[in-house]
Amino acid sequence: MITRKWIERIEGEASVQFTFEQNKVSFATIAFPHFRGMEAILYLKPAMDALVITPRVCGICGHSHLFAAVRAIESVYANSGFPLEISPKAEMIRELTLSLELIQNHFKWLYMVIYPELSHLLQRPIADSCRLKGAYAASLATKVLAIFAGQWPHSSYMIPGGVTCDPTYVDTVRAMGILDELIRWFEKELTGISLEDYLNLSSAKDLSYVSGDMRDIDKMLRTAKMHKQGFSYDRYMVLGNHGFSNPSKYINRRIAKVNPKLVMLEDPYTVDEKTYAKNALYQNNAFETGPLARAVTNGVPFIKHLHRSFRDSTYTRIMARSYETALLLEHCKTLLQSLHLDEPSFIEPNKKITSISGEGIGIVEAPRGPLIHKVTLNKGIIDSYTLITPTQWNLSCGSPQTPGPAQKAMIGADSIETATFTFRSFDVCSVCTTH
Amino acid sequence: MKPRLKVLWLQGVTCNGNTHSFLNYPHLLYVLETFEFLYHSLLPSTYTLEEISTCVHECDILIFEGAYDPRMERVGTSLETLVGHYGSHAKYVIAAGSCASFGGMFKHSDPEHITGLGFDEKEPKGPFASSPKLINLSGCPMHPEWMGYTLRMIADNKPIAVDELHRPKELYSYLAHHGCTRNEYFEWKVDSDHFGTKEGCLFYKQGCRGPMTHASCNKILWNDVSSKTRAGSPCFGCTEPDFPRTNMFETKTNMSIPQDVPVGISKRSYLTMAGIAKSFHIPRLEKRLIDDNT
Ligand code: SF4
Ligand code: SF4
Repeated sequence: MITRKWIERIEGEASVQFTFEQNKVSFATIAFPHFRGMEAILYLKPAMDALVITPRVCGICGHSHLFAAVRAIESVYANSGFPLEISPKAEMIRELTLSLELIQNHFKWLYMVIYPELSHLLQRPIADSCRLKGAYAASLATKVLAIFAGQWPHSSYMIPGGVTCDPTYVDTVRAMGILDELIRWFEKELTGISLEDYLNLSSAKDLSYVSGDMRDIDKMLRTAKMHKQGFSYDRYMVLGNHGFSNPSKYINRRIAKVNPKLVMLEDPYTVDEKTYAKNALYQNNAFETGPLARAVTNGVPFIKHLHRSFRDSTYTRIMARSYETALLLEHCKTLLQSLHLDEPSFIEPNKKITSISGEGIGIVEAPRGPLIHKVTLNKGIIDSYTLITPTQWNLSCGSPQTPGPAQKAMIGADSIETATFTFRSFDVCSVCTTH
Repeated sequence: MKPRLKVLWLQGVTCNGNTHSFLNYPHLLYVLETFEFLYHSLLPSTYTLEEISTCVHECDILIFEGAYDPRMERVGTSLETLVGHYGSHAKYVIAAGSCASFGGMFKHSDPEHITGLGFDEKEPKGPFASSPKLINLSGCPMHPEWMGYTLRMIADNKPIAVDELHRPKELYSYLAHHGCTRNEYFEWKVDSDHFGTKEGCLFYKQGCRGPMTHASCNKILWNDVSSKTRAGSPCFGCTEPDFPRTNMFETKTNMSIPQDVPVGISKRSYLTMAGIAKSFHIPRLEKRLIDDNT
């Protein structure tokens, strides 16, 4: 029996067709019906315009797109023999604002998607105001981001050669003040223990120290048996290089090097439905991306421990994303403290972009995993632009023999509701998937 | 409690940027207390989108985000049907962002079929062309306070005067240039010779559209803290019908004179003023703002 269901509130919609056998999901296809043609919009535009256009791929992770676009253009410079110099200050500010975008994303996902959906699943409704907690925390993170980037969403402050802003210590002090407030909020509302203690958790047992909403979420996840389902391939892919990530893959319980050249795109599997999302694979294999992938390949002790006990269950996936928020808050604090503002924000490329031709690739870790921008320039004009987004990995739609990570994770679920919840544990974003 | 006004937040061809911009609004609690969202993609809502798509409900305010493509379907119902049904019952139709207002970024994915709700760039076109119900909150994205203002004015039964592009005058009579920290450099024609400095104006080389753009970005700051020009990025003119333009990081010039000059100022007056201002050499404005040597 096949049941079709629209899954909403995923930055758009997906149509999922579930096949049931003996009251369990035996297969599911995922289709994304919306398409905007971003790559075509970029065609023949001046390279710099990509810094304004690509953030508009996605309202929740546009900053990651900006970062990937700037890295792609800088890589064209490098590949054509003119590597650009970026000051450590500019690198750090970029990394800081990217991390803040991840933080806002994770807070929204936890409070506006996971917490209410989980309560719904267990029929334990939570107050409407609870969702607003996510928006509040996210707005503090974007406030800090905007001190450097001018605004969020849709800033274009990263440019080849650095960043446009020229902050003073008045700005960084202000940023630290708001970040402190966010951390205090995190400690009071989410964990009930200090950020430091939370970061020192080392096993599932330690979760008994946690109070606050995280305690509630943890309990509910277990009540819903989320630690016993939602298993996927237990294969992970990280491609973006940052202070919080380590480009590598995890396969057969080992961490190994990766080569972004081996990333490939494949047409999705469909039966009688239109979908615009291409599958992203590595050497023909599906890989899971995102916070769990980053934590496993980076050896984050607490998540490694959960992973050992509960593998890649829906529970581990959700805990990894929540925990990454804490890691990133700490990372932002360190970055803010280590900025040397006397360094230049921008070092002018000594070649004009209008004389630059060639290919380039920009890779960053976006909230949901590796984001790849590939560009070919002809005298500074875009000849081709390819976007490969993290959700194209997680939400790829393969055949019954080769399901994608989310498809595989839904197999075995005893109802559409639990399968959908597992689907959401991947933090689905429809606009990025299809662009 | 008096009955809450019913709001439906629908999305067309979009990036969801306005949704996320609005989530930064500091007074969301007020919004939820005053309005009932029939549907919103993240805020608590009465119905699912699937229930909305049956078109049996009605709303007082339709908020539409994204460009309008009548053929696009949301969970199986075309935008033409959805916008037609909900829009005809609503007292107000609010276009959130430049795509919904004028077609914006996503008009470019299919210029023939895609428009805003009431405009195709600056030409009246679309299901609410010339409709008195239509309020455009252009911007890519719109600022959360602009939506907050509009909703509260409606809730309080206060009239909202709009300009010829249906944008609230109180928000869009300002130019992005008003309140920019670089104003003095603009006055004395001191340009920023490259990006990444707090000194200098971005009008002459870096493509700043501030003086030609109706927006209060430097009056009501972004995320309460900053704006593009304060962070050293040029204004891209994202609240105007011609957004996105091309070559957005460069000023178009003819014989080194900017092609566009501030709104409502004749080229001659501009050039006269600029010529005089440029003839002075003002050491204070040519130095770094915070002098390292003293
Ligand atoms: S106007 Fe800008 S922010 Fe709004 S939907 Fe369009 S691209 Fe996104
Ligand atoms: S940078 Fe732009 S907004 Fe600021 S003063 Fe110059 S022209 Fe005006």
